Amino acid sequence: KGRRAQRLKSRDCVLSEIHLNVTDLGLGYTTKEELIFRYCSGSCETAVTLYDQILNNLTQNKKLVSDKIRPQPCCRPIAYDDDLSFLDDDLSTYHILRKHSAKKCGCV
Amino acid sequence: EPVISKGNNCLDAAKACNLNDICKKYRSAYITPCTYSVSNEICNKRKCHKALRQFFDKVPPKHSYGMLFCSCRDIACTERRRQTIVPACSYEDREKPNCLNLQETCKTNYICRSRLADFFTNCQPESRSVSNCLKENYADCLLAYSGLIGTVMTPNYLNYNNLSVAPWCDCGSSGNDIEECLKFLNFFQDNSCLKSAIQAFGNGTDVNVW
Repeated sequence: KGRRAQRLKSRDCVLSEIHLNVTDLGLGYTTKEELIFRYCSGSCETAVTLYDQILNNLTQNKKLVSDKIRPQPCCRPIAYDDDLSFLDDDLSTYHILRKHSAKKCGCV
Repeated sequence: EPVISKGNNCLDAAKACNLNDICKKYRSAYITPCTYSVSNEICNKRKCHKALRQFFDKVPPKHSYGMLFCSCRDIACTERRRQTIVPACSYEDREKPNCLNLQETCKTNYICRSRLADFFTNCQPESRSVSNCLKENYADCLLAYSGLIGTVMTPNYLNYNNLSVAPWCDCGSSGNDIEECLKFLNFFQDNSCLKSAIQAFGNGTDVNVW
């Protein structure tokens, strides 16, 4: 049982990071600068609340019919990383990215 | 890929900065006020200067000097180096004051006065010394020079092909004080101690200090 709990935990919502070129972000900037992009991924199964359980029950016994209801929390940023600035390849324009990268994740 | 990469040390330094949480944070903390236009002005110079001082106060020299004193072989590199302090806001102004007048303005401010004194002490050239410096300590000279960034004496690189630097002033209309003014200006523009210190950092050759 202990091992199973651990396996579940390892899939839990966590902060991950990847080293990228700014151009990889697909935002249309021309620069050779780079960044660490941090994102949230993992499951929120273990974070189900009574609210989620009720929603689940209501959709299953058809008291609520909507495809826009999400009966499980999502792994999302609950705080963002500091701003990122970089110099454009024109060597005269600076750009600043705000709230572009996660700092803390949570099941919300 | 060429076998011998020409490289751009200033770009490499900028990349390294953004991969370091402290450097990234304080870099955008000065880029923001230095590029944010306010009511007809290109930026809020006071806020830009303050954030630049914080950058050089808080960020380890490995990163801050890496961007300011990177060694270059082409214009893409030297222009990036010149842009480090966002000169359009922190350096350039509508008018160029006389350097001695600027020095007087500097002396009315506690931070500027002490940092200028440090610069004159720690970057004093001495042609008979191997290091070209009277104090024989490049680290102290670079610290004193970078300390001026964010004061009215903020210096920057003047051109692409050498390490000549100067604050935003000249020696026009100096009258009888022309020699004193040129002496002041040349301490920046033509300072063998400062140039050697910058070169040694850029090439990583100052084994005594780094």
